[in-house]
Amino acid sequence: MKYETQKIAYQYFVAATLLFGLQVIFGLLTGAKYVWDYDPLMNIIPFNTSRAIHINLLVVWLLIGFMGGTYYLVPEEAETDIYSPRLAAVQLYLFVAIGVAAIIGYLAGWSWGMPFLEQPTVLKFGIVIVALIFLFNIFMTMMKTKKWTVIQGVLLGGLVMLALLFLFGIFFVRNLSTQYYWWWWVIHLWVEGAWELVAGSIIAFILLKMTGVDRELVEKWLYVEVGLVLFTGIAGTGHHYYWIGTPGYWLWVGGIFSALEPVPILFMVFDTLRDVREKKIEIENKIPLYWAVGSAVMHFLGAGVWGFAHTLPQINKWTHGTQVTASHGHFAFFGAYVMINLTMIYFAVPRITGVVRKGHGRSLVALRFMVFSIFFMVLALAIAGIVQSYLQRILGMDYLTTQDYLKLWYAVMWVSGWGVVTGVFIYIFDFFSMGRPPKITA
Amino acid sequence: MTLSQGRAIFIWGTVISTVIFLGLTYDSISKMPKRTHAEELSDAVADGKWTWQRYNCNDCHTILGIGGYYAPDLTKVMSQRDPEWTKQFLKDPHKVWPAKRRMPNLHLTDNEIGNLVAFLTWVNGIDTNGWPPKPMAVAAAGSTPLPGEAVFRAQGCSACHKLNGVGGDIGPDLTHVGSTRTPDWIKQQLENPRSHFPNSPMPSFSKLSPKDMKDLVDFLSSLK
Repeated sequence: MKYETQKIAYQYFVAATLLFGLQVIFGLLTGAKYVWDYDPLMNIIPFNTSRAIHINLLVVWLLIGFMGGTYYLVPEEAETDIYSPRLAAVQLYLFVAIGVAAIIGYLAGWSWGMPFLEQPTVLKFGIVIVALIFLFNIFMTMMKTKKWTVIQGVLLGGLVMLALLFLFGIFFVRNLSTQYYWWWWVIHLWVEGAWELVAGSIIAFILLKMTGVDRELVEKWLYVEVGLVLFTGIAGTGHHYYWIGTPGYWLWVGGIFSALEPVPILFMVFDTLRDVREKKIEIENKIPLYWAVGSAVMHFLGAGVWGFAHTLPQINKWTHGTQVTASHGHFAFFGAYVMINLTMIYFAVPRITGVVRKGHGRSLVALRFMVFSIFFMVLALAIAGIVQSYLQRILGMDYLTTQDYLKLWYAVMWVSGWGVVTGVFIYIFDFFSMGRPPKITA
Repeated sequence: MTLSQGRAIFIWGTVISTVIFLGLTYDSISKMPKRTHAEELSDAVADGKWTWQRYNCNDCHTILGIGGYYAPDLTKVMSQRDPEWTKQFLKDPHKVWPAKRRMPNLHLTDNEIGNLVAFLTWVNGIDTNGWPPKPMAVAAAGSTPLPGEAVFRAQGCSACHKLNGVGGDIGPDLTHVGSTRTPDWIKQQLENPRSHFPNSPMPSFSKLSPKDMKDLVDFLSSLK
């Protein structure tokens, strides 16, 4: 750590870590409702509330992690302190307060009712304020720099894109098809656009710092990667426009562009491995590297392979709206974004706290628990989804009847979920054993 | 490759994809009112959409294939269900459809229920490029189903009765009902279930139009 104000990132990582724990607990609760028909909590936390909390916590903790990562990364890249650490703290408290208000609201039946964007409109405006504070703070910090790096530029581009796209998810549209048309601008263009830019620049920064390879090499490939991500990802939004009341040409456009989406991800895998192979400095703390390589591989499998498997309209016609999508969603989010966040945390926290640990065994145990359990979980969901597609779409069986045939696979999913939770709690324990940042000296 | 070539890939990749995407978005938005028959999108439909959102229905049910996977997709539900049946169902879901996986009673007002049914009826008419597909097995069989089968589906009979292994356990299996009951017996059972079984929980279907009643009786009698 070179700049005092980078310490602000630690608070963000604490919040992200705790919310991650809460998120997976709600995952278990949501999953249990598939396994047992009788739901004793039906009138207190019904499935829709439980799912809303599970997926909202996911998005919020990942965003808080990205923000923390940004606050850690930008001073080092811009070679200057954060413009206002106080504003950064206010922003975090405001964001967490909005998150808590949203969860309490869901439990009380207060919802805006579009998946992932269930936050009532007034809270959404609060989120916009948080985003504006954040962008202002980052922008003012970057303005102080004497040299603009590509990493900073891509990161800022991703953050601005992220904030702008959120605006498409705020307003009520009378026509459901049109509402969903804009809804995908938030959901798809976040995860296959803006977030990829943020994650790409974070991973480029970490690899640069850890391996000591030439900056020009890292930045050149960062450009190529995000160029390919945006080329395939923007028009690739079309794979969500097959069946929602949109014209038929999206079947072609969405099919072609999204079929290319695995290319940049595969590219990232090679890029990561090449940087590690060509390292110029001895890497003392290998843990972030394990997470980074793990993320590259799981990102490719979850987003690339699992996504490609059902992205073509000829296949998607049968699998759309089944557990196949749930399988892909869990796999892709975990590989692409959960593991990137944990990479960043394992990279930054020891540098902030200055605590040198002898062994890293616990972190690897957490990694293995999470990776293997997620793998079994998404496999179970994929099988459930394929069986469901067959029974419902090929044989024409009624939806509720199909669910009886999926019980075994839901049980496998749920047991695997306990494995994920175990891994997450080992991680949480490990996080707090990395020490606390020394008090900021005035 | 140099840094500036990398930058060129970034800029051109982004620009080309964005231009294609925005161009098609402009075209799609201009065509979607017709594809969604927006002229029929009344205030009741819009209010129904808000009711749908307000109760967070979409985190259990999918619609247009998007949402939670915990409950049936509702895109084309009104092709399968009678509006009156749907209203009664929404009033007290478990009473009308005693499925093992329950839908909670949302205590909706009659007005909200009416708007929801208007909304779902409007959604049913959206041109979804043929999704959800017609089940392959049905398409392969090639035969047109008897009109009574549609009545059987619309009235939600399979909530309680099994047909070929599919359906509920509340009432008797109807797979071979035509070989044990006469058409007249079936008609009377539909109109007044308690005339045969004084404690029957089955509701009367005397509200059916004479044509629907005849179609349903013909369909059930054909099950041998």
